[in-house]
Amino acid sequence: MAIDANTPSSTRTAPEERLVNLVVALMATEPGLTKETILTSVSGYREQSAAGASKDALEKMFERDKENLRAMGVPIETIGDYADPDDLREARYRVPTSEYELPADIEFTPAELAVLNLAGGVWSESSMSAQARSGLRKIRALGLEVDAPIIGYSPRINLREPAFAPLQRGIEQARVVTFDYLKGGDEDAHRRRVRPLALVEFEARWHVFGFDIDQDAERTFLLSRIVSPVQVTRTGFDAALREGAGDKALAGLQELAARQHALLEVDPGTEAALRLSRRATPAPQGIHVSYVDAHIFADELASYGPEVRVVEPADLRAKVIARLERTLELHGGAR
Amino acid sequence: MSAQPLLATDRAALILQLVPYLIGKGEVSVTEAADEFDVTPDQLRSMVEKLTVIGLPGDGGFWQMANDLFDIDWDLLDEQDLISITNTVGLERTPRLTAREAAALLAGLQLAASLPGVGDSGVVQGLLAKLARGASSAPADVIVAPDAVDDVRVAVNDALRAGVAVSFRYKAPDRPATTRTVDPVKVHIADGQWYLQGWCHLREAMRTFHLERVSDMQLTEIAIAHSGDAVPALFAVTDADAVAEIRFAADLAPLLTAYLDPASVAGAGARRTGRVRIADERSLKRLAARHGGELEVLSPDSARSAVASWAAAGLAQYH
Repeated sequence: MAIDANTPSSTRTAPEERLVNLVVALMATEPGLTKETILTSVSGYREQSAAGASKDALEKMFERDKENLRAMGVPIETIGDYADPDDLREARYRVPTSEYELPADIEFTPAELAVLNLAGGVWSESSMSAQARSGLRKIRALGLEVDAPIIGYSPRINLREPAFAPLQRGIEQARVVTFDYLKGGDEDAHRRRVRPLALVEFEARWHVFGFDIDQDAERTFLLSRIVSPVQVTRTGFDAALREGAGDKALAGLQELAARQHALLEVDPGTEAALRLSRRATPAPQGIHVSYVDAHIFADELASYGPEVRVVEPADLRAKVIARLERTLELHGGAR
Repeated sequence: MSAQPLLATDRAALILQLVPYLIGKGEVSVTEAADEFDVTPDQLRSMVEKLTVIGLPGDGGFWQMANDLFDIDWDLLDEQDLISITNTVGLERTPRLTAREAAALLAGLQLAASLPGVGDSGVVQGLLAKLARGASSAPADVIVAPDAVDDVRVAVNDALRAGVAVSFRYKAPDRPATTRTVDPVKVHIADGQWYLQGWCHLREAMRTFHLERVSDMQLTEIAIAHSGDAVPALFAVTDADAVAEIRFAADLAPLLTAYLDPASVAGAGARRTGRVRIADERSLKRLAARHGGELEVLSPDSARSAVASWAAAGLAQYH
């Protein structure tokens, strides 16, 4: 932090003080404050101005603070020169109260708050857990009555995929992401360029739904098959594409499950029979079970060993056989 | 430019939330507030102290007047560890949720909607709309696919509400079916699977039951007697469990956390070895076949040969 290092320690203010001072100042003004006024009057900048910090350094600090506050959800409005909107020399800055504050007409009933408390606790250790707690805290600060907690439940969403956070950022900022994707059954991963639109947990697996630029089509990817870090690029896309994307992605997965089904014979009374029959519809010989991803379903079917036999489709049958053969090969001989 | 600026923004975000919280509380102890804000009492005290040097801009470059700054009752803080805000200069209202806070809560709500009695009450629909409206910008769509409520889940829920034991047939893999009477204590939902934890009258101990292996569930008239007992963590391993050595593909590690002893993991690169603890040695054959070729049971020999027989018996069906 070059700026702090160049100023005497007596004039140094903790950055969070400066940030909050800036929010207070920008909310207290109706017409907005110019950069000049901010740098010479808002505590945190003012002391450094007075101590002779360079204008350039202070302006950079202000730009970074604005960026950080916007990332925190503080809506900083820039009112430019109407004659020349690109000229920001005389721009004024403000935070409109109505956009900063939780709308006063949003109220939560005691029953709603009880459900929300439960919903806020579902994320296992991850940044989403901290976000949910922070959101809950804001709502609790409204000081509303809450029903007795919903006891006896511990619902959890697990988030093991490092791809989740950058994909979510890509969606929020409507920016193209790139990653290496290992398609099920393929040997080599391929680079994908995608406009990410929604994240969907389906059958306990995270998927990202988006528009694959090279394939020129909508695609759904399993996060567990993303084998490189996800890069959020500088290329933006029309945020309107996001509208309704979650429902569309979910409908697509459900449609896929409805279309793909296997004919299985199961040994009654076994683990396979118990687990599969819940998802099954009876068939003349055996049961029909639908699935979304043949590789993942083959993993499950292989785990049942002799308890289940795949009649069709042939492709799924071959995958299960291959898994069992590999298992036998690995355990058949000496170590 | 390390983590330093990031931490400052976190602290700034907390201070923005602290003001409306303190106004709402009137008077609150340092420990209670620290608890609410997920920080230590010292960190909270330092945030409150920082607050008192924050305020409106000075007029024409002069220092602010006292009433231009936030202030607290210092005597109350020094003598009784209580925080009471005495002057505010803004920030009185709760800030909007950030897009990410809203997304985290919205996804949680979708999972909560799968609980019997929650999804069909209309509460969730109202909340989804309110949260979306209370966000500072449009949250990313984070969807949790809905899950159908079945009879077993409804019965467990009814028993929890009524405070009575349930009786059911339980069929663990590779074991004969048993009839259990259980005081329900907690329902865990993890990776889309539902588990009931409760006091098992047969085993006279806390046990965990996978709800997909439960059938014929009935409510009894036996009042719950063990709801106050300590509940072990889901998948907690006990001394009675079997231990095995495995070799596995490195990228399987996150899927094995429930069984794998992290201290035992050795090796670098694509293959690792490690020790797993499982409730029943016989379940290893299922684990190995599921990860066909990616997970090898090294010892004990009995488990290793059981895997080979399991795979061979599976294959025999196709010859």
